[in-house]
Amino acid sequence: MLLTILAVLAAPAPKYPVATIAPALRENAHAVVRAYDEVVTVKSASQLVNTVHKVVTVLDGAGSDSYGQLVIEYSALNRIGYLRGAVYDANGLLLHQLRAAEVHDQGVGSADGSFMTDVRVRYADLRQPSGPYTVEFDYEIVSDNTLFYPSWQPQHAENVALEGATLQVTTPTSLPLRYHEQLLPPGAASAPVVAGAQTTYRWQLPAHPAVDEEPLAPPLSTLLPAVRLAPAAFEVQGYKGSLASWQSLGQWVYQLGQGRDQLPPAVAAKMAQLLVEAPNPRDRARKVYEYVQSTTRYISVQLGLGGWQTAPASSVASGGYGDCKALSNYTCALLKAAGLPAYVALVKAGRDQADVRQEFPSSQFNHVILCMPLAAHGTAPADTVWLECTSQTDAFGYMGSFTGNRHALLLTPEGGRLVATPRYAAQANRQQRRTDLWLTADGGAKATVRTKRVGLAQDTYAQLLHEGDPEQQKRYVSNRLPLSHFTITSLRLAAGPATDALPSVNETLGLELSGLATPAGQRLLLEPNLLGRLAALPAQVGARETPLALPPAALYQDTVRLHLPTGFKIDNLPAPTELSTAYGTYRSTCATLPDGTLQYVRQLELRRPNGSTPLPAAKYPEYQDFRRKVNQADHTQLVLVKHEA
Amino acid sequence: MALGLLAGPALAQSKQPAPIKFGQPDPADFEAKNFVADSGAAAVVLCDYGTTRFGSPTGEMRVIHERLVRLKILKKAGYDYATVEVPLYHREGDAEKLSNLRGFTYVRGADGKLVRTKLEAANIFVEKRTDRVTIQKFTLPAVQEGAVVEYAYTVTSSFLSDCPDWEFQRDIPTRWSEYRTTLPRFYRYKFLFHGYQPLAVNEEGAGSVQLILAHHTGMSGAFDSGSSGISVNTEDHRWVVRDAPAVRSEPFITTPADYVTRIDCELAGEQWPQQEYRDLTETWGKMNELLRRHQSFGQVLEHDNFLQASVEPLTLRYPDFGERALAVRELVLKNVKYDGANRLFTETPLKRTWEQHRGTSADVNLLLLAALRQAGLSAEPLILSTRTHGRVVQEYPQLDQFNYVVALVALPDGKELLLDATEPLLPAGVLPRRCLSRLGHTVPRQGEGRWVDLAPGASYVHFQDVKMALDAQGNLTSQVQNQFGGYAGLETRGKLSELGEKKFITELASQHPSCEIPAYTFEGVADLNKALGLRYTLHQTAATPGTAQELFVSPLAVFGEGSNPFKLATRNFPVDFGMTQQEIISLTLTLPPGYVAELPKPAVLVLPGQGGRYVYSASSPAPGTVQLMSRLTLDKPVYTPEEYHALRELYRQMLAKQAEALVVKKAG
Repeated sequence: MLLTILAVLAAPAPKYPVATIAPALRENAHAVVRAYDEVVTVKSASQLVNTVHKVVTVLDGAGSDSYGQLVIEYSALNRIGYLRGAVYDANGLLLHQLRAAEVHDQGVGSADGSFMTDVRVRYADLRQPSGPYTVEFDYEIVSDNTLFYPSWQPQHAENVALEGATLQVTTPTSLPLRYHEQLLPPGAASAPVVAGAQTTYRWQLPAHPAVDEEPLAPPLSTLLPAVRLAPAAFEVQGYKGSLASWQSLGQWVYQLGQGRDQLPPAVAAKMAQLLVEAPNPRDRARKVYEYVQSTTRYISVQLGLGGWQTAPASSVASGGYGDCKALSNYTCALLKAAGLPAYVALVKAGRDQADVRQEFPSSQFNHVILCMPLAAHGTAPADTVWLECTSQTDAFGYMGSFTGNRHALLLTPEGGRLVATPRYAAQANRQQRRTDLWLTADGGAKATVRTKRVGLAQDTYAQLLHEGDPEQQKRYVSNRLPLSHFTITSLRLAAGPATDALPSVNETLGLELSGLATPAGQRLLLEPNLLGRLAALPAQVGARETPLALPPAALYQDTVRLHLPTGFKIDNLPAPTELSTAYGTYRSTCATLPDGTLQYVRQLELRRPNGSTPLPAAKYPEYQDFRRKVNQADHTQLVLVKHEA
Repeated sequence: MALGLLAGPALAQSKQPAPIKFGQPDPADFEAKNFVADSGAAAVVLCDYGTTRFGSPTGEMRVIHERLVRLKILKKAGYDYATVEVPLYHREGDAEKLSNLRGFTYVRGADGKLVRTKLEAANIFVEKRTDRVTIQKFTLPAVQEGAVVEYAYTVTSSFLSDCPDWEFQRDIPTRWSEYRTTLPRFYRYKFLFHGYQPLAVNEEGAGSVQLILAHHTGMSGAFDSGSSGISVNTEDHRWVVRDAPAVRSEPFITTPADYVTRIDCELAGEQWPQQEYRDLTETWGKMNELLRRHQSFGQVLEHDNFLQASVEPLTLRYPDFGERALAVRELVLKNVKYDGANRLFTETPLKRTWEQHRGTSADVNLLLLAALRQAGLSAEPLILSTRTHGRVVQEYPQLDQFNYVVALVALPDGKELLLDATEPLLPAGVLPRRCLSRLGHTVPRQGEGRWVDLAPGASYVHFQDVKMALDAQGNLTSQVQNQFGGYAGLETRGKLSELGEKKFITELASQHPSCEIPAYTFEGVADLNKALGLRYTLHQTAATPGTAQELFVSPLAVFGEGSNPFKLATRNFPVDFGMTQQEIISLTLTLPPGYVAELPKPAVLVLPGQGGRYVYSASSPAPGTVQLMSRLTLDKPVYTPEEYHALRELYRQMLAKQAEALVVKKAG
């Protein structure tokens, strides 16, 4: 009896038993974050220490891969102090303590698009064969790169609930903390506490059930509570800076690059020569850009401070390659030598990427481009030209979906300045298509399809044109044709004229479509909108929770000419459809031309009434209705009947 | 010929000069007219030249592999070929070292002069990728369209029994690829040729090399020549493949590596002076002996006492050996998670795997074997190569052909059971899809073992029974009963566990624009030995509202595949599904009162060589009722490229029949 009691006393208390999770948190959840306690200690302007205590209960197999293991990045400027872990069963009893030998260390290779980087990862795997189980991880990162302070977002993915989380930041009072709070519930923040020369800030989050990702929703990371941190003053590798404003951040990056724009004399002379050859500044800039595109390429080497400081222009001149910073800096130097002043600009690049948080100056960028003001010349008015220096094929002055429609930070001798990059509306994201369809009596057809894509609509096709060989082009196009069966008889992609205001790609496609029209007794059924159908949205289950993020504005124009087989005529000429809503307009018509050919014309313009700002969730049914009507009209069917001779 | 041992090489008449020399580009490679035929390619390998020999450069014997590559960059898309990564392995004191790395980029200027830019040492990087692999990487300077890039290096290795393999083909065209070996006769190699390109040169000769053999050289350890240099006879080979096209992946294949023309080198034996020939992996018997004694394979099975407490209750509870085997597999499945890595050898002792609850496929399945034996069952390892690892060549007892092990259990009634404990969603006796690579080889307690057909114990079966009602407005309401059997059950259970029921159904409904699924139930999700059932109600709203005199209805359309998976008209590699398949839709349509339907024509399509068939029928068993049946049967797991056209056509016709519309109109 006594022995039993002793044994009970001696056993460690269970940790995080599953039974204590509130039922509401288990609903719709693969995992529950039991604790996410982050402590940030600013040691000095040049060093901070970040510790994380993270406990997650994995409820089922679908949560296992994401939460049963841990991957931490580190690099030359961020080292891992320690990494500890343990796993507990559903009752909270220790199953296994992570051993040092079970923590793996690995280079990331070219996984992040770099040719060479000092970023590495350590990872630990505590996944269990069956749930529920709980993993506990503790780690510390010591950072010598105080340009970046950590962000705290304990819940950021779908189907994961949060039981509770805390954030504590301690900083010398002389180094005040800057922070940005996103969607915090009331009472999450506490007033800072000053003790001696240190100030401590605290936040906490209460329990929150799991959320679902819905179609056309903004990223969940923008919809859940977060605190983002940034320094006022910082120092990296001896370079002191301030993040008090965009101006000061720009100043710091500008300084890093100073004196790195020296060109070899021969190259400088070549550029100076352009002053004579091309007196028109736009033509001259174009020549410089063409020179860069034909003699350099993108190779990313990110080592230590090299992640932020450009390589010298001379090294790009000799090696013919560099990363985005180096190629922009080099191009800037070339333009300067050709009498064209330009500015290097930082940008947060990426398709459908949210714009920078303008109200919170901090390092939010991942890419570098060039911005060149052009003075008026002759009849041409003054203009601003933006250049992507890492692409060997992009059109002169074109930003596209990678860097357009957002803000960039110009680096000027006076410091940074946030300015808008080019805006691309529906006309600059358009697709025009002309299809000729020759139908045979057995329902088969031959088709010629000519598609012109302009602006944003050509971005992926331009890439396909320049980077894919004919085999890859054919495969890409094949995988996207919305037809049940087809054979491509010819395919040609070609770039439109380089002098057009916007780049375009023309696609000419030959198709053989056996069994295109569906037989129905003695008739043939055919949807004349062969390729331009817009999918409807999935049916909404329950009430819409999240805001509505619409795709970029776009314009689609389709003309289909249907050449009927001899002896056939149209049984029913479909009535025209016309829709006009805040989300876009739609018009389709069918007409018989004098020569007996049927002509189907469709125009769809998709709008974003609120720009890139999401619409309230309540608007979803309205938008869904618009898409359903468009989809219905897109499936207009023709009935063809054979004449009785 | 696709695969086989190299036989009957011609004897080399004389030593051939190297096909190219470093630093001496060919002016012809700067003439555009010489690349007209390659207009589609981003770059072309002009010459890839490798040699492997033995030497004693620093007083100790080493394998010396030299490589010289010259490429023509045709387009900007080909710039990536100017960036090179060389992996170097090291393990327990043995290492590969790279030296003498050099490179040039040649560009012909507007003035016709050749400009050469040197690869600078500052632009050569080393990345420690893992504990065992270091990557040496470099990118050539001043690359532009039309440039010729060239690089060369030497890898010196103390892994004395590893002669590097050679690939003659890549994802860009290769004009000339040449590999030469000069190997001392005390190591006997076998060379295994894979692929579809013929060898333009296949020569064998003899020579000699001066080597310093240190005391420890030789696996037997008995040989002693001091440190003096001696002359050793060599066996010399030279292989060339010319004008090899680019190799590209296609859908439904195992791995593109199965189709790359290459030579694999495997040490077969050792013949040291004054010693008997030591046969290494020449026979399956010897290979199995090695596996049985291997400390990360056979030896781990000896330490199984820790399993006794867990296994004994099962032994007592299940007198029937078949049931007991399944119970043991359940035990392992419940206690150990497969971490996704496919291995032949264990990473840790079985006891550690058991305590960690996690391991590679080898950790998990050798643990299963140990537990099966502990339970008194007759079980032996069956080694195989996963689909992405590549096909096993039966003629060749080569250990590195294998990367996976499962358990083969012999039951008293003479039946055999293949067991794997990595996939909790699979019933016992059905191997994961990654294992369906045709053949595996047993490792019995004694003897050389035998081949076992991995023909899957299940096929991919999807059955849909639909009761559909049409109203006079053209709206359709269906009660759909799905059965996902065999591998279809695995696939659907996997998707269901990943997405959850709600998302699964949303995704199903969103495949068709006008569909709604107001009610559904899953059946038998946990009973892996039965098909997974899914019952749901489906509403399809008519496109045009109002009552029509004549309705066109394609009842099967939403239940079929929708589009032909074989998009391209031509095919280079076999279509390897891994398993046989059946897709059956049985549909009963009830017409609105007073309506009749014109029935479509039946169809029967048969693949040549008993490869399978498609059957479609339409009938009217009672007035106002239409019965449709669509049945696809694919009886082969693999179809040759010659059969591709027929397979694609079968799918086309099936899709056409599934899309066909019934004309429904008012009677009279």
